[in-house]
Amino acid sequence: MNWRREGWFTKQIGRLSGYGILILTTIILILPVFFMAVASLKQDSEYMTYPIRVFPKVPQWSNYAAVFTMTPFVKIATRTGLLGIAVAILVTISSSLAGYAFARFRVPGSSRLFAIVISLLIVPGIVILIPQFILFARLKLTNTYWPWILGAIGGSPYFIFMFRQFFMNFPKELEEAAEVDGCGQFRIFWQIFMPNAKPVIATVMIFAFNGVWGDYLMPLIYLSANKTLLGVAMATAFRNPKGFDLKTISLAANVIYVLPLIVIFFFAQKNILKGVVTSGLKG
Amino acid sequence: MPAQTAARSASLFGRRTLTRTQRRTVAFYLFISPWLLGFIFLGVFPLVVGFLTSFTNYDGLNLQTIKFVGFANYLRPLNDPDVGFSVKRTILWGMLNLPLWLVLSFTLALILNREVMGRGFFRVMFYLPSIIPAVAAINAWRIILERNYGMLNHLISFFRPGTAIGWLSDFALPGMTLIAVWGGLGAGMIIFLAGLQNIPDELVEAAKIDGANGLQVFRHITLPLMTPVIFFQLVLGLISSFRELNLPLILSTVGISSGVPPRSIYLYMIHTYRQIFVHGLYGYGTALLWLLFIGTVLATALVFWTQKFWVYSEAPAEGGGS
Repeated sequence: MNWRREGWFTKQIGRLSGYGILILTTIILILPVFFMAVASLKQDSEYMTYPIRVFPKVPQWSNYAAVFTMTPFVKIATRTGLLGIAVAILVTISSSLAGYAFARFRVPGSSRLFAIVISLLIVPGIVILIPQFILFARLKLTNTYWPWILGAIGGSPYFIFMFRQFFMNFPKELEEAAEVDGCGQFRIFWQIFMPNAKPVIATVMIFAFNGVWGDYLMPLIYLSANKTLLGVAMATAFRNPKGFDLKTISLAANVIYVLPLIVIFFFAQKNILKGVVTSGLKG
Repeated sequence: MPAQTAARSASLFGRRTLTRTQRRTVAFYLFISPWLLGFIFLGVFPLVVGFLTSFTNYDGLNLQTIKFVGFANYLRPLNDPDVGFSVKRTILWGMLNLPLWLVLSFTLALILNREVMGRGFFRVMFYLPSIIPAVAAINAWRIILERNYGMLNHLISFFRPGTAIGWLSDFALPGMTLIAVWGGLGAGMIIFLAGLQNIPDELVEAAKIDGANGLQVFRHITLPLMTPVIFFQLVLGLISSFRELNLPLILSTVGISSGVPPRSIYLYMIHTYRQIFVHGLYGYGTALLWLLFIGTVLATALVFWTQKFWVYSEAPAEGGGS
């Protein structure tokens, strides 16, 4: 009896300390983002004072209005968002087509081609990015969005793999029945498989969009300042017409920059985390 | 009779001229054609061009002055002290970043792999840093790591007044490691968590009945069964820390307009990047890329070789492909 009670106590203590660890870890992990949000409400003079104060004396909500009125944030964000959507749609179409083919067709050459897809998963992207740049530069396609569009049409091995894993689980009878009914291959794909693949489609589109939205390297090497995307624009502080850094206003822009990603993540976290596990890709 | 009509009308459209296998083959190649074209024109072709470039003095602009220079670009690192330096920094970076990331993301997964209320919530919160783009992450961390106004130095100053460590300048390697580990934890954790959930409950229960305590269960069951996942993560982590470019590149935008990162984080890819985009040495830069590729393959092969000493070899029970 006594022993049991002790066991119960240690269990409760274990559980509470378990929660303590969970909550503490969460706080530590969220802290940088929290500090950024708090600092975005300071005045520039407050941001650079010593000794440091974590919280602003008076929250400067006007910093957020200033992002829209004093900086080109909206213009660049619109451009980045539109490109992100275009890339997401194109890459989803081409990757789902290929993923479907690799999942459902056993024809000459199919397994060898799939081995290529798998090996591309391990080839570091940067090794290919620079030769691609050399090529696009020769084609005079730098400072355009073609590298993104063409790349999206080419699909992505990660997404192909995700679609393939998903389409593999469908019963064979599904397409056989449709074939007997005289349904063409493309219609089977488009009208039977795709409508049932909404979770993967959503996941892939989110990954692809976030990829463009958060990317730093591609806009840096391909685009000049007047065409650049948010990833590059956010790396340096916005300036006022006199050439001074708008520090806290830029931080407010950073908060607006990450906000859509956080919102999308909270809504689609289940699918996103599942996608991370299948593809090893980070969102 | 109706079957006959169907067959005849089908042949009118030329359907029956191909067998089912042939039709499916055609369909397969049509389905994969966007990817295949992309693979050929944006994958194979640039790689071949890049490979050929590495044997020339191409400057990125003029094709008239282009010359074949043999293996000169591959021998040049021997006379370029920055290559040796950047390789050392890269290895140091990997040795700092990889173990920390592996241990911490595994720990997070272990913490979460229990039947606790609100597990889903904590999983989401733990993953959150991974969705913050590198640029925004660095901007957030600057508030903490900045030399003069950063919170970390301020905190240390309570114990050691006047601390002004340049976490993002001359002492940037630990600072960058912190940011990278923070940003990678979520993804690592999710993969470890999936691995942990594949461990059969019966094994753990059986060990407990035999009188094993929590530590023994971890040491003799969880850890051995997780070695394939650890191995997988180690290989991927190794590859990605060798090719790290993003973080030092973004960090080099701090104030200085020249865009040279601090020496402490002058990684191999930074050196390569600068050869191409700053100095216009395309031949040398692509040669450095291929050397990186060879180095990565060798390092990966080495890790694969160590596999037999520490990785649990029985294939996961069933269906464990992912």
